[in-house]
Formats: sequence, C-alpha cells, structure tokens
Amino acid sequence: MARLPREEWYDIARDVDWDLSYVDYDEVFPEWMSGTGKVPREAWAEWDEPYKVTYPEYVATQREKETGAYSVKAVLRKSRVFDQLDEGWKSVAKQHFGAVALVEDLAAYAELRMARFGLAPAWRNMAVFGALDETRHAQISLYFPHELLGRDPQYDWAHKAYHTSQWTVAAARATFDGMMMNPNVVDVAVQLPFTFETGFTNVQFVALAADALESGDINFANMISSIQTDEARHSQQGGPTLKILVEHDPRRAQWVIDKTFWVSARLFSVLTGPAMDYYTPLAMRKQSFKEFMLEWVAGQFADQLQDYGLKKPWYWDEFLAGLDTWHHGLHLGVWYWRPTVWWNPQGGVSPAERDWLREKYPDWEDRFGPIWDVIIGNINAGQAGLTLPATLPWLCSLCQLPVGTAGSPGNQRYPVRSYPLSYDGRTYHFCSRPCRQIWWEDRDTLHSPTVVDRVLAGEVQPPTVEGLLTWMGLTPEVRGTDAYGYRWARAYPPGDPGPAGDAGPAGDAGPAVTEPSNGGRPVPVNALFAGDFVTQLVTLQDTDTVDQAASRIAAQVVGRRVRSREAGLVVRLGGRVLPGELTVAAAGIGPLDSVDVSWDAGRVGER
Amino acid sequence: MSGRVGPVLRMSDDVDAIVAAIEDDNPGQQVTVVDRGAYTRVSGEGELRVTRASIERHLGREFEMRQFEELMSAFAGRIEMTSQEVRWQLGG
Repeated sequence: MARLPREEWYDIARDVDWDLSYVDYDEVFPEWMSGTGKVPREAWAEWDEPYKVTYPEYVATQREKETGAYSVKAVLRKSRVFDQLDEGWKSVAKQHFGAVALVEDLAAYAELRMARFGLAPAWRNMAVFGALDETRHAQISLYFPHELLGRDPQYDWAHKAYHTSQWTVAAARATFDGMMMNPNVVDVAVQLPFTFETGFTNVQFVALAADALESGDINFANMISSIQTDEARHSQQGGPTLKILVEHDPRRAQWVIDKTFWVSARLFSVLTGPAMDYYTPLAMRKQSFKEFMLEWVAGQFADQLQDYGLKKPWYWDEFLAGLDTWHHGLHLGVWYWRPTVWWNPQGGVSPAERDWLREKYPDWEDRFGPIWDVIIGNINAGQAGLTLPATLPWLCSLCQLPVGTAGSPGNQRYPVRSYPLSYDGRTYHFCSRPCRQIWWEDRDTLHSPTVVDRVLAGEVQPPTVEGLLTWMGLTPEVRGTDAYGYRWARAYPPGDPGPAGDAGPAGDAGPAVTEPSNGGRPVPVNALFAGDFVTQLVTLQDTDTVDQAASRIAAQVVGRRVRSREAGLVVRLGGRVLPGELTVAAAGIGPLDSVDVSWDAGRVGER
Repeated sequence: MSGRVGPVLRMSDDVDAIVAAIEDDNPGQQVTVVDRGAYTRVSGEGELRVTRASIERHLGREFEMRQFEELMSAFAGRIEMTSQEVRWQLGG
C-alpha cells in the first residue's frame, strides 16, 4: 500500500485537539503556567512549526544518532586517545560536563511544561520531542564522563555539580531557573528555544566542537555536535511562539529576549570564553571566543531578531564591548579562585599565548597584563601562595558572577565597580547596569541568594576559605589547581616580570572571610582596590580606623594582583574621601557599603 | 544585518555531497562554504534550498529527508522542512 506523503496528513493529525466540557479551560491552562497575557486565546491556533517531524521519523532518526555517537565512543575506548589529551583541554570537558549535564535534565522539565501547558496542540507535540531530546542529552552527558571516573575524580562533578551550591553552579542555576522553571511557558519558549538555543548553545556545542576536534577529543566533539542536531529542531518552538507574541504584545517579546540574552551572555563568558581562549591549547584554537561570538551570536542571532521585527537589545554596544573584556576578567577570577572549581584552569598566559591574546584583543595588555605580571612574578619568586584566594569576590545579585568582570581595569567606559541598589532596607550589588535593571524589573520572582549572601547570612561555617570550599562540596581531591603546574609562567625569563613587593601590612590577615580577628562589630563591605579586576568581600570592624580598614582591604590585593607602591592609601565612600583617623563607625561605613581604596601620592611612605 | 542563511553541517562523510547538492539546487546563488573541521557552514544570501533528489544523486543512495537532521547541528535563517526539500530564508 502506498504511503501518503507526510505533507498530506501531518497538519490534520497534529492539530487534533478537544473542546473541554467537564472542566474550565482556565483550570486546564491556568494563566500563571500558560501565560497567554495580551494574546487572545484563539491566536495560538495559528502556531505552525517550521521543522516538522512525525513520531516514527523521530524515533528512526534518534536511533541513528545514538548509534553514531556510541559507536565512536566504543571504538575510542580501546584507544589511547584520552591519555594523550592536553590537561588544559581536559578541563574544558570537565567544566562542560559539570555545568551542562544536569541542565539538560532541567531542560527536559522545561520541555515537559510546554508539552503540558503550551496553548496549541502543534506546540505541545513538538515539546514532547524536545523533552525526549533533553533526556537523551542528560543521559549522554552523564554516560560519557562516567567511564573516566576511575582516571580522575574531577569527572564525578558531571553528576555532582548541580547537587551543590558551588558558586558557578549557583550562578547557572539562578540563570536557568529564570529561563526554564520560573516563567510561564510562553516566556519559556521565547527564552529557552528562541534566545538561548538558537543564540548561545551553538557557541558551546558547535563552535567548541571545532576546538575539540582540533585538540584530538573526537569523542567530545562527536557528542556535543550530535546533541546540537536535536537542538536545531526543537529550538524551532521559539519562532512560532515569538511570531504570535510579537503580533499581540511586542513589548513583552522584546523584554523577555533582552533579559535572557544578557544573562546568557554573562554566563557564557565564564563557561565558553576561558575554554576557547585559555584552556584550548594555542595551536589548536580555531578562532577566538570573540570571533565565534561574532559569528554565531552577534551576527546570526541579530539577523534573526530583525527578521521577527524586533530590535537589538538596548545594551547592544555594551554587550559588544564586553566581548573584549568579560571573559578575560572571568578567566582571571576562575584561575585565582581555582580551588573553588572542579576543573584545573590553564593559566594560559605564557609569552606565546600572550602574543595571541594581544593580537586577538588589542586592549588585553593594558587591561589585564599588569595583574598577570604580578601573578607571574609571584609564581617565579616561589610565592604561589599569594596567587590563591583569602576572601571572596563580591557576586552580582543577578548573574551571580564577580562584580567588576563586566568591566575591566583602566577602562573608562566600563570600569571595575559595583552598581548598587538600595531596596527594602538592604543594599544589593550588581556587575552592570543591565543586571541591575533586569533585577529591578523581575525582583519579585528572583529568589536565588548568591554565595556571598549565604556567607553573610551565616550559612557557611566556619566562615573561612576552607569552610567555604567544604560547604560548596569541593573535597580536597577535586579542587582545581593550575592545569600545567605553572609551566606557562616559568616560560618568562628570570626576573621578568619582577616580584610584586610586599603583600602589604596585613598580608597574614588570616583566612576568616567574615569575622574580624578581635573586638568591634563586623562590618562586611564590598571593597575595591584601584587597579584590581574585581570587588571583594572584606570584613572590617566598626572600631577600626579608616587607615586600618584600608590596610585590611589592601592586604587582599596588594602584592597579589596589584604591585606594591611607596604610597599611602586613601579611602572613599560614595566618592567622598574619609579621614584616616576616624573609626569605621564614625566615618559612616556600614554593612554592604561600597568602599574604594586607592594609592594616595600625597601620603608617601605612611604604609 | 548580514542576511546570510543556510545549514551548519557537522562532521561526517556526507558533507561534500550535501554541499554539491546545495550548489546544484541554487543556480545563480553564490554559495559560500566555510570549513572549520568539526563543522562546515554553508550559506547564501536571503534564501537557500536543498532537495532530496539532488542529495540522492550526489550520495548515490536513497536518502530520507528526515536524515538531514543527523547532519545539521545548526542553521541560519528560518527553516521549512518537507519530505522533499529543506529551505532556509530570511524576510519570508
């Protein structure tokens, strides 16, 4: 019997729906889940997916994909390919597995929410395939690293990461909960399939595959590009939803895209940026992170927005400028705070790598070179201890990434600073104006405290770096170390760059993150030392003099990331210079304030 | 706005045949091919299509259009897929 071509029956089968008679429509599709908003209910009947697939086709295709991915893995298992992989590259995969595997599982729930509450039968049908896809992705992303457990305990974090509140996981969880779990399904479709899956995942799953293959990690390249073939299909739930939403409520469509794009861009700067520009061995890099982002996100996604009659987000110039700086600051942060991650970051600033960075990013040397010089000097002077953290960077209340990393040192337009906001009796700190604005608009639906918030609330005991590592689930054998054992830094000629000088008068300020050593009441502040790339949590005492407070803050930075100088220090609060002899309390410094410390050329030698 | 559309093909033995089929199916179009190892970006201005018939001719075997999904890890533009062809376009 001849089979009908799919086109001749598909639409009828797909649109099978029923009229509810025993229950109210609003009970079955409640607004808080289905989110039709200003869109008339009947408008959803026009929902038409561009990428059509039937269930038998789906099953046949997925079977073939799985056979391909697993047969490559089976062959490679018997080879020595894994042993020959570069340690820096292995960290790309370790980071990926931990950061992504269980997000795939979360995405299955997001798809299932659309499969249940989506307002058109065609949409619900497509979301069922999406849920099956994401289940496959979670399984394959757990199965591939599982066989490596015996070789390296860091692979355990493929499964463990999302069961912890490690800080990058907390950041990712906040972002993905906001994208997949908290919103109604119309917003989910615009945020997840449209903005995230057609905009960003391509950079991690397709572009990164190019670096993976070049680095010899055939298995990983094969796995992620296989996963993305599913995404190319189910991400097409975004377009039809967006088309209807734009027609009836373009403001909502634009806003939902704008906010998702921003937090995604921030998150990918810590996930994909360091992987491409630092961890991937120099000779194997296909393009820079910026070049991949311009190809996949700035170019391809911006075309798509215009095609749907939408504008580029209001912060577009700031986003583009960030492609030159964000991920460099985040790499520096991840490397400096390396015991807090489950992979081994490759420093990636050898003379040859540095030349590449300067070529790809002409401002890199001015922005980040001086800090790396202090680090390199300390490593080569046998003081690697000064390249390890004694406190925490302050984390943005929206993206949960270190405050300062949406700017860069020496950058007039986007400086290293906090963008604070007082609300409901407390001060919140943000890395950027867009993060602050998004938080303000969405504040009633955001309930994810940052790791800094948790420390300040007393959840981390003892409140020391060691206590924090344990609280984040980082057992000693998985804590990150430099992937190359500092080999990259030793490539510099002896004495160049030179030692950074003393670590400051309170260089032994101790490991306590929140509790001052004696007396007084603790005053945790968000402290910036001029020339540094992040702001940090430093706990002062209200009985400290302002000069003592300056020393406590300097001790976390000077000789560590900023070269020591023969100069005094000046403290500013809200731009106002504070007299050094006043106490913290008398000077008006309160908990969660932004405190700036800089060199004072007029007070030479007072330190 | 660049206006370029088309598939991004993942690494496989069939990439050359697909590219040849796309070139056949888009006479008069300047088809650009960028090979980055693990992926190959094929693009044209405004609209690009590929048919099952051309793919079968270049592969020298039967091909179901659904199998195109296994080869394509991403694409630029809006897609439309039938059992006989795939089409990518912008401004449609």
